[in-house]
Amino acid sequence: MRGCLSKVAMIVTLWIYVIFPLIRYLSRRPTVLQKPQKKGCPPVIVNGSAMFGGGTVMFKSIVQSPTTEVEQQHGPSRTPEEETKKPNLYMGDAVNLIIDKEPAMALLHEYRQLDAVSTMTKAHSVVGGENKWEMLESEQDGVPCQTGSEINIHQDMQPGKEKMQERSVDAAVDVDLQQALREQFKCLEIENSTQKSTCMKIQALSAPSESNTLWNIARLAEEHTKIKAMKLAATEEVEVWDEYVLPTDDKHGGATSSKWIVPSLLSNTSINLGLNGDSKKPSIWHFPAEPDLAEEVQCPLLRLPDVSYYPPIEPITQFEVIWRAWESLDEDVGAVEPIGGPFPSTKTTLDFTVMSYNILAQDLIELNQELYTHCPLEVLDWKYRCCLFLNELKKWSPDILCLQEVQQNHYYEELHPVLAQMGYTCIYKQRTGTKTDGCAICYKSRHFTEITVKLLEFFQPETELLNRHNVGIVLLLRPVATLASEAKACGPPLCVANTHLLFNPRRGDVKLAQLAIVIAEIDCLIKSCRAKREHCNVILCGDFNSVPNSPLYQLITVGELYYHGMQAWMVSGQKDFSHQTPCHRLFAPLWPSSLGITDHCQYTPVQEDQESPRSGKYQYSHDLMLKRRFYPAACVRPLDLPLIPGVTDHTADLSRKSLSHTESFRKALYHRLDLKSVYEHVLPGSGKPEVTTLNSDVGATVDYIFYSPKRTSGRKLKDGGECASNGLKLMGRLSLLSEEVLWSMNGLPNHVFPSDHLSLLAQFQMQLHPA
Amino acid sequence: ENTKVFPLFTSLKDDDSGDHEQDQGSSKDSEKEKNEDEDKEQNSSKRKVKSRPFMYVYMVVPGAGEHPLQFNYSFWYSRRTPGRPASTQSYEQNIKQIGSFASVEQFWRFYSHMIRPGDLTGHSDFHLFKEGIKPMWEDDANKMGGKWIIRLRKGLASRCWENLILAILGEQFMVGEEICGAVVSVRFQEDIISIWNKTASDQGTTARIRDTLRRVLNLPPNTIMEYKTHTDSIKYRTAVLAALQQFHNS
Repeated sequence: MRGCLSKVAMIVTLWIYVIFPLIRYLSRRPTVLQKPQKKGCPPVIVNGSAMFGGGTVMFKSIVQSPTTEVEQQHGPSRTPEEETKKPNLYMGDAVNLIIDKEPAMALLHEYRQLDAVSTMTKAHSVVGGENKWEMLESEQDGVPCQTGSEINIHQDMQPGKEKMQERSVDAAVDVDLQQALREQFKCLEIENSTQKSTCMKIQALSAPSESNTLWNIARLAEEHTKIKAMKLAATEEVEVWDEYVLPTDDKHGGATSSKWIVPSLLSNTSINLGLNGDSKKPSIWHFPAEPDLAEEVQCPLLRLPDVSYYPPIEPITQFEVIWRAWESLDEDVGAVEPIGGPFPSTKTTLDFTVMSYNILAQDLIELNQELYTHCPLEVLDWKYRCCLFLNELKKWSPDILCLQEVQQNHYYEELHPVLAQMGYTCIYKQRTGTKTDGCAICYKSRHFTEITVKLLEFFQPETELLNRHNVGIVLLLRPVATLASEAKACGPPLCVANTHLLFNPRRGDVKLAQLAIVIAEIDCLIKSCRAKREHCNVILCGDFNSVPNSPLYQLITVGELYYHGMQAWMVSGQKDFSHQTPCHRLFAPLWPSSLGITDHCQYTPVQEDQESPRSGKYQYSHDLMLKRRFYPAACVRPLDLPLIPGVTDHTADLSRKSLSHTESFRKALYHRLDLKSVYEHVLPGSGKPEVTTLNSDVGATVDYIFYSPKRTSGRKLKDGGECASNGLKLMGRLSLLSEEVLWSMNGLPNHVFPSDHLSLLAQFQMQLHPA
Repeated sequence: ENTKVFPLFTSLKDDDSGDHEQDQGSSKDSEKEKNEDEDKEQNSSKRKVKSRPFMYVYMVVPGAGEHPLQFNYSFWYSRRTPGRPASTQSYEQNIKQIGSFASVEQFWRFYSHMIRPGDLTGHSDFHLFKEGIKPMWEDDANKMGGKWIIRLRKGLASRCWENLILAILGEQFMVGEEICGAVVSVRFQEDIISIWNKTASDQGTTARIRDTLRRVLNLPPNTIMEYKTHTDSIKYRTAVLAALQQFHNS
């Protein structure tokens, strides 16, 4: 049997179900690896295995995909049961297979949901199958697989275990958080024949667990497993072959059609109803099972759609990328798993991940319902979104998490307890005024210690420009590297700033002033580090409500912006108000000196003896003096001014012109942070714009992670001669998606992404101080 | 190396940018200062007999809706005749009061019609002094005082001068009535700006003036700033005068 299996060169999917008296929904996400294969080979192989009943009963089965080649090769070994099972399996499998035509890049997503009405189940999915060996062979041969766009999918299901729990039917069942934290993920590896040198390792973001199941599938699976169990009862090891939709990219010239089959929610609902009866208690939220199922969390009943109905087999739909791929940007990393595991730290460098996520405050949904009319009601439900969010968070488990639109009650009641349990220390700042949401920065306590916390309120009653209730947080952290099993503080300080700037697309002036406050605060912390002769790396992230290459973006990334005369709406570039008159324009100075922030986005040096009795009554700042310069009365030539050629024959107009240098200097904003965006705002390959937010009104990039890049040459840093060791090295990022793709998922939020923003995730490497 | 002499503008992006070389030409500069002093000394020798060429009998007042200044100020202009260092014109004769003002707006009326110091030709000086104080060491308000001197590479004077006088007029120095005025001196290879105060012996005041000066001119921390008391200037002039006299007599 195994020999037979080893010759299979197609995706083979096997479903395993175990029926038990108690009903449980299990969802599991297999890992999928894609690798190019030799030409002519059937593109995909998926294999997996499962162990049942604590591993005492083992069996093996094979299911093939309906590909001619496979049938030829493997026909004899197939059983009628398997063939009859296939169409039904499609019902249970939600498989997205996406091929990006241009780079011939294919991402495969498998959205699998198991309704195993079982407990005391131990399911292990193990990497196996011919595909793996083929990969190994090709690697050993050192032959780069570049012969085509064939795809080889290798499914690796991480060990999972479902613990039996006896519960009454209406009892809420908890799911272990720790377990969910390490939930299974998909991994796709893509090699593009047209981009030989580019080997992008992609980790697909797996769909959140949903308790959707198909009763009939469960039944079929049960039958199937029984058959297989009988057949293979004697086998020591279990291997289960899962069947997936096969991409037919070769035949269709790369334009692979994929199947998107969503489990029938209706049947799911019926099961829920059937099982829970008239119980009001929450049903179960299952995170993928993992060994230590010690603690569990309650998730209230998901509101399931009343009207959603997905036919068992939908017409084949065209999809592009649905899954978010992990882009490794460092060649050295190779196949190293970027996420998880112990804090990767060597003696000289330190890797860490940062996520920025606008999680969409529930109150803001209620306030702006018109933005979410495209969404099914259930995806707007907070409990549902919260579970999706926590799921996503646990999947990536970033070392630093910057959140926006965190509703206060949700933070304290739901998010913070979970985050604390996950090992995060959290700082939360609620918006001022009547707003219920705010920003949060959470960091892994075992990876960072806190030096300074600054909570920023942009509302400044004495400054007209700053009359909006937005907030920010600026932290100064010190990385704690574990050396020789002993936590030891080392490494240069890291300044992490998180903010959510004003949304109003017309008020770019307010956004600039708010940004200036954040930058001034960062600058202040950097100076405090510099005073100790330490270089401070900066990470600035958040929702800036400004699109790429807008003037505000330019100020951040270039460090300079000439704003005088600019129309206020232009600053963010969110919308085009050029047809509207009158336009509100920006004039220098943008904010009064009383704000205490210079046009270099730095705090004005504190003047000692501010209340000196000797200080003048009529005290005017530089800005105020300049502001009066061109007042009509100030332009008239004084009658008593003697005309001295070459000395007092300056004309006012000429003065304006000759002062242009000075003027431009004063009508611009600057900052001294060297910041670069993690994302490039254009999807590689297709060149389509990335979006970080999408709703009925807008689809754009407005969220960013900016960081102090490592500058190997060029700009020289002042402090110390350690230029080379300063700055952060970008190691990878979670790729964003295009608007088109997101709309194909019914926009945002949806059943996969809980917010109208996508999460941004980046991995950095910083140099540590030599001990 | 000369590219680094640009302390003010390159420092915009990073205020602790590296060294500049203001100290490099110090010997040359002191010579210049010497020349300047000689110049003044010779001019002032005949000053006593002359009356002021411009004398305003009325006090200027701020106009309606204008921003009044804490003190009234006057602009002065002086020019040394080129090629005639031994001019018989007195310093006092050479210096012209351009006008007085009492408000921010009035200041701009004058300032906007004055050539920027960097565009002046020859050895010229602009002076800004409180109304009633003459830009001379011997003035009652100055005779116990001194001045901070900053030497600037060519091209910087206009900006620095403007920043300096805006700070003075806007009362940014916070030293009460200590400030007497400021001078920008356009010379052949460099420009010199200086700020005069009443009490040279008040080290707290002079220190505060120095620090404020650094800030408002955005000077790098290592900028060379020299404080010189007017009595020293006078002594120096006397000595030089005596030497010259001796030279002529012999």
